[in-house]
Amino acid sequence: MTTLRITINGRPHGPVEVRDELTMNDFLREKLGMTGTKFGCGAAQCLSCAVIVDNPDGTSRTSPTCIVPAIVFNGQSIRTVEGHARDGELTPLQKAFVTHFSFQCGYCTAGFLNEGQVLLERLARTPVPRADLEKTILEALDGHLCRCTGYVKYHEAVRDVILADAKRYLA
Amino acid sequence: MKTHSRPALFAATAALMLSVQGAALAADLPTTLAAPESFAGIADPATRSAAIFVEASKVLMHPRCVNCHPVGERPSQGEFATTRPHQPPVERGKDGFGSVSMRCGTCHQARNFEPGRVPGHEHWHLAPPSMAWQGKTPAQICAQIKDPARNGGRTLAQIHEHIALDSLVGWAWAPGTSRTPAPGTQKQMGALIDAWVATGAMCPS
Amino acid sequence: MEFSRREFVKAVTASGIALTVSRLAAATEPTFAARETLPGRQGWNPSATGAGRIDGMAKVTGAKLYASDFRAADLPGWPSTTAHALLLRAADATHIYTGIDLSRLTGAFKPAAVVTADDVARSGVRVPEFYRGDLFCPVGKTPLYLGQPVALLLFESFDAFDQARVALRDAPIVKFGKETPPVAMPPYGSNRFVRVAGATPGAPDVYSPLKAGWVRPVRFRKADSPVWALPSRTGRADAQATFYGDQIRAELAANNPGLLVLDREFATQSIDPMFLEPEGGLAWFDTGRKSLEMVVGVQSPFECADSVAYLLGRAAASFKPAHINLQFAYVGGGFGGRDHTSFPLYVALAAIFLPGRPVRLAHDRYQQFQGGIKRHAFTMRSRIGVDRASGKIRAFAADHVLDGGGLANYSVSVADVAATGAIGIYDIPKVDVTTVAIHSRGVTAGSMRCYGTLQTMTALEVLIDEAAVALKLDPIDFRRRNALPTDGRTLAGNTYFGPVRTPEVLDKLERHPIWTQRAAEKARGQQQPGLLVGTGVACVTKDYGGGADCSQARVELTPDGRIALFSDAVEMGNAIGTALANRAALHLGAVADEVAVAQIEMYAELGLVSSGDPYTMDQATQDAAARNPRWVPNISSPTSASVGAHVGTHGAGEAARIIFRFGLWPAALESWGIAAADPRAAQWESARWKDGQLTMASLPPLPLAALAAKAHARGLVTGAMVHAFSRWEWSQATFAVAGRPWTARIDALAVRMGGGAFKRIDRRNVRFPPTRNNRFGTSYSSLCGTVVRVEIERATGNLRVARAYSVVECGTALVPEVVRGQMQGGFAMGVGYALLETLPLYEDGPGNGKWNLGQYVIARASDLPLSTLETEILPPVAVGDEPKGMAEVVMIPVVPAILNAIFDATGRRFASLPVTPAMLRGSLT
Repeated sequence: MTTLRITINGRPHGPVEVRDELTMNDFLREKLGMTGTKFGCGAAQCLSCAVIVDNPDGTSRTSPTCIVPAIVFNGQSIRTVEGHARDGELTPLQKAFVTHFSFQCGYCTAGFLNEGQVLLERLARTPVPRADLEKTILEALDGHLCRCTGYVKYHEAVRDVILADAKRYLA
Repeated sequence: MKTHSRPALFAATAALMLSVQGAALAADLPTTLAAPESFAGIADPATRSAAIFVEASKVLMHPRCVNCHPVGERPSQGEFATTRPHQPPVERGKDGFGSVSMRCGTCHQARNFEPGRVPGHEHWHLAPPSMAWQGKTPAQICAQIKDPARNGGRTLAQIHEHIALDSLVGWAWAPGTSRTPAPGTQKQMGALIDAWVATGAMCPS
Repeated sequence: MEFSRREFVKAVTASGIALTVSRLAAATEPTFAARETLPGRQGWNPSATGAGRIDGMAKVTGAKLYASDFRAADLPGWPSTTAHALLLRAADATHIYTGIDLSRLTGAFKPAAVVTADDVARSGVRVPEFYRGDLFCPVGKTPLYLGQPVALLLFESFDAFDQARVALRDAPIVKFGKETPPVAMPPYGSNRFVRVAGATPGAPDVYSPLKAGWVRPVRFRKADSPVWALPSRTGRADAQATFYGDQIRAELAANNPGLLVLDREFATQSIDPMFLEPEGGLAWFDTGRKSLEMVVGVQSPFECADSVAYLLGRAAASFKPAHINLQFAYVGGGFGGRDHTSFPLYVALAAIFLPGRPVRLAHDRYQQFQGGIKRHAFTMRSRIGVDRASGKIRAFAADHVLDGGGLANYSVSVADVAATGAIGIYDIPKVDVTTVAIHSRGVTAGSMRCYGTLQTMTALEVLIDEAAVALKLDPIDFRRRNALPTDGRTLAGNTYFGPVRTPEVLDKLERHPIWTQRAAEKARGQQQPGLLVGTGVACVTKDYGGGADCSQARVELTPDGRIALFSDAVEMGNAIGTALANRAALHLGAVADEVAVAQIEMYAELGLVSSGDPYTMDQATQDAAARNPRWVPNISSPTSASVGAHVGTHGAGEAARIIFRFGLWPAALESWGIAAADPRAAQWESARWKDGQLTMASLPPLPLAALAAKAHARGLVTGAMVHAFSRWEWSQATFAVAGRPWTARIDALAVRMGGGAFKRIDRRNVRFPPTRNNRFGTSYSSLCGTVVRVEIERATGNLRVARAYSVVECGTALVPEVVRGQMQGGFAMGVGYALLETLPLYEDGPGNGKWNLGQYVIARASDLPLSTLETEILPPVAVGDEPKGMAEVVMIPVVPAILNAIFDATGRRFASLPVTPAMLRGSLT
C-alpha cells in the first residue's frame, strides 16, 4: 500500500492508501466513480483511457491509465474529460467535437479530447508552420483508436480549432 | 545492480532466426544456453569463437531483445518479433525515448507492472538505428557489435561488461509472467561473451 | 426460414415474471432514466440548431451514459457497494473439462460464491432457445466451443476481484483431461435459392423462392455437404429447386464458346466487431422486493428482457424474481455484435447467485475477444456465365459455407441474407445459390455490420471486375449493362420498394476524377520505380431492416411547446436520438427537448400482445390473430440491420404527425380564425414550419409555443404513442381520432388530449403485411458505390489508399453529417477488413483468451486517406422521400474496390482476406 495524493481537475484527493497493483484506471473508475475516463483494451493500445498530466514546468502530456499504477501519479495533477468544461461552458475543442459531429458512440471521445487538448497546449508553446499542421495532428492523435468514425471529423475539429486561432498555434 | 549512467547500449537484444515471413511461436524459442566449456571440443580457436557467438546470438536474436533493436523507427512487440509492430504506434524519436506525444516511460514504468502486463525498467528506450538487428544474421550482428562506429564506441571489454551487467539488458531474463524470457541467464550470457572475446571475438561466416 | 433475425421466445408473458422499466425513486443522484434522457432539461441541445447531436454535450463532458459507467452507488435506491464477477472460460475444446482449481484464491481473494454448470442445473435456470447450448460447460464434457464459460466467480469487493483476476490470469486453473475430437453438431441450417426468370422481361418467373418457398436439404452427407431433393420439374418445391438449379449448373458447365464462364473460390476471415466499450452490466437481486434490477447496454433490449425472463421463469423459488426491472444504457459501439448476445444472461446469473448484492460483470478486452460475437468466416465458390456478344450476365451459381462457431445465434439468418444478396446490383435471369452454416469449436459468430453480404458481395464484385477485364469491357459499363432496373426482380423473385437508382450511382462513379484519371495515374506509377498504382471500383445494394421490424414511439408536447420523445430504438453511435428528433421535427417544427432511447416499456396504454413467429406464421393465423385489436406480429425489434433511419424513426414521425394533425393544426385554425367549413381547414398538408413558426400562404406565422398552449387549453391531441410493424412493408390501420378517421402506417395508437392521460384507440381495417413477404430476401435497399486509388510499394508490399470516393443513395438523410460520418467509419472498417483484421478460427484464435489490439490490428488514422476521402449523398428523388438505412451498405464496396485496385496495380487477384503486405510482397517478387 502506498499513500496517494493527487489533484484531479483542480481538486485535491487524498491522502488515501492504495494498493501498489491498482491501476490508475481502476482508481478513477472504481474508487472515485469517475467513469468519464474509459476502459477499452487494458493494454494501452486504444488509449481511450488517456488523461492529461500537468507537469510542474507548465507543460502537459497525456498518459494512459489502464496499465499504469495509480501510485505513479502520486503528487501529480491530472485532468480528465469531466474537468474540461467550466461552469457548463465547453472548451473550444469540446465545442468543435460537438459541432463537427466528431464522435458517434462517444466511447473514445475522452481520449481524443485529452490528446487534442494537449496538442493545442503544445502548439501554443511551440507553434508549427501551417504546412506541417495535418501531419502534426496525425502524429498526435494516431495512437487513439476509434471504431465508428473513420477519424475524419476528429481531425477536422482539431484542425479548425487551430486555424480559428492561427496566431496562437501556427508559426 | 548499478546501471550505466548513460542510456544502456543494448536496450534489449536481437532475434533473427525468425525469418521475415515466419512467425515463430513462443514455444519455438530457445530456453537454454550452452556453457562456453561445451565448445571445448572445437579445436580451432577461431571456429570455436564463432560457434560461441552463434550460441550467444540465441539471446541477441530473441524477441525480448530484438523488439527494441528494430530496423526503422517503430519497435516490435510480443513473441512474434518481426511480424508485429508495437501498438500503439510509438516511434524512436530524437533521443530513443519515444516521440513528442508518446514517450516510452509514460507506459513503461521503472519496473514490470503485472496487472497491466507492461514491461518496465527505469531506462526503457530503443536502441539507436546503428544497432538495428531486426532481420539480420548472426554474422551481420557480430560485425555490427564489433564495429565501434556502430556500437557506441565500445571496446570488446565494454561490450562484455554491458551484456553481462547492464540491468536493462538483464530485464530480458525477467520480463514478467506474460513474456518468454531470453534463454539461459544473464550470467551465462556474460560467460559466453567473455569466452567469445577471449577466443578472439571471431564472427561466424 | 427455420430461424430468424429475432427468436421466438415469448417468455415475458409465459414466465409469470412481471417485466418493467420502473423509474426509480428520486434521490441525490440523478436517476438512471434522467441520466439517459438527453440532452436533459438544462442541457445545451446542439441538435436544436443542427449544430450537433442530441447526445453531444453528454458525450464530450464524460457524463455517465454507458452500461459500463454505472456502479451501485450511482443508482438511487441501490445499496452503496458493488460486488464484482469474473467469468472463467475454457480455452480448449478438444479435451474433457475436469473442473477448476481455485487453490490460488485464499483469504481475502476467496470468491464469495462460485457458479458452475451444476449450480445452474440445480437452480432450474433455462437456456433461451436462441442461445441453446450449455451456459457453463459441465465437468466431464468437452467444451462445445473455445471460450465456453465454465464458472462465474463472485467477489464481495473490487479489491478482492482485482487481485484474484491477476492471480488467475495465465494460470492453468481450468483443468482438462483426456483428448477428444471437437464436439460434433449438425449444421445450423442450409438453404437453396433458385430463380429462373420468364423468357421475356415482363413474364412471370418460371421458378423463384417467392413462388415456391424457401428450400432446405433433405439431409447432410457431411456437415458441410447438404443433399438436395431428387430433381423433378413438376414435383415439390425442393425437387423443382434441384431441377432448375442443376440445369443452371449444367449450362455453366457446358462448353459454350459464346459464354464466358468464370469459376472462382473466395474465402473471408473471422473478425471481431471491436466496439470500443467491452460488454459490461450491473445487476442486483433485491431479495426484499424479489426484484432483479439490471443495467445493460445491448442493441436488442426487448429480446434481452425476454431472454432474462425466460432464463429465470421456471427457476426454483429462491432463484426466481417476481419482477425484473431492466434499464438499457447508451451503447459504446455495437456494429451488430451486441444484438442477441448471451452476455446479459451471465449478468443476471451473477446477481441471482449473490442475492442482495449489486454485482458487476464486465469483460476486459481479452475476454471480449474470447467471448464476444464474431463475423462469420465464409468459403465461397462462385460461377458466373456472361454472354460474350451482349456482355449480359446469363447465369450465376454459388455455394457458401459459413463457420458459425460454437452456438447457432444468427448463423442461419446470416447464410440467408448472404445468399439473397449474392447477386448484388445485378439482373441475372438464372441463379442458384446454396448455403450451409456449420457448427465448429470456434467462438460463436453472429450479427455484425452487413452480415453475410459483405462476404458474398465482395466475392461478387471481384468476380464482376474479372469478367469485365476478360470481356475487355469497362467495369462501370459492364455493371450498367447488367444493373437491375427499378421493376426488376431480386433473387427471391420480388421487386424492390421504390426506385432503384443504380445508374445514377454508376454515373457518379464514372465521372469522378479518381476514375477518369486512372490510366494517367497508373502510368505515373510506372514511371516511379518501386511504386505500383491502381484504381478499383465496386457498387452494391444492401437491404436494411430485418423482415419483422417494429417501431414504438411516444411523443409528448407540453403547454409551453417543449417536446419529449421516447423510442425503443437504441443509441449505439448511430445518432438515433438526433434522427428521431429530426424526424418528429418535420411535423412539430422543433427538435425534441428530451429524447429517451432504448425505452421498451413506455407504451403500456397500447396494451400490445403478440403470439407466434412473425417469420414463419401463415396468413390464416395472422388474419385470425389480427382480429384482436391489441395484437401485433412482433412488439419490439433490435436496432440492427441499418433499421435506424427508416424503421427506428418511423413511429416518432407518425406520432408527431398525429399531434400536428389533431392538436396543432386545429389550434392554428382557431388562431387564424378559419372556420371548419373553410376549404383551407382541410389543407393541413400544405402548412410549413419555418424557424419554429407554422406558416401558411397569406396567414400570419404562428409560434409552436402558442399552438401548444392552445392545444392544451382546448383539450386537443398533445401526445401520441404508436406501434408500427414492417415485414418489408408497413402495417396500416384506421383510427377514430377526435371523431375523424385517421389512416396511417401504424397498427396501434393511444393519444393524450390536453393534460389528460393516454388512451388507446382501437384500430379498424388493419392490414398487416402479408406473410408471403417472408419469402423476400428484402425489398428495402440502399446503394453505395466506391472508387479507390491504391499505391503499393513493391519492395515492402505496403499499400496506401491514396484517394477514395464513396457515393450513397439513402433517400432523405435525416442527419446528413451523421450519414457522412457513417460513410467515413464504414470506409475505415472496410480498409480493416480488406487489409488488416483477421482472427484464426480455432486454438490460436481469440477463444484462447490471449488476443488484444496488439495482434488484432484495426485501422488507425494513419492507415486511412483522411483528407482525400470524399463522400457524397445522392439527393432524394423528391422532397419528403423516406429515409433509408445506410450504415451497412457504405462499408461493403470499399472492400472489393480495394481488391480491384490491387489487381489494377499488380495484375494479381487475391482470393482471401485480408491482403497483407507479406502477400503483396510475395506476389510481386
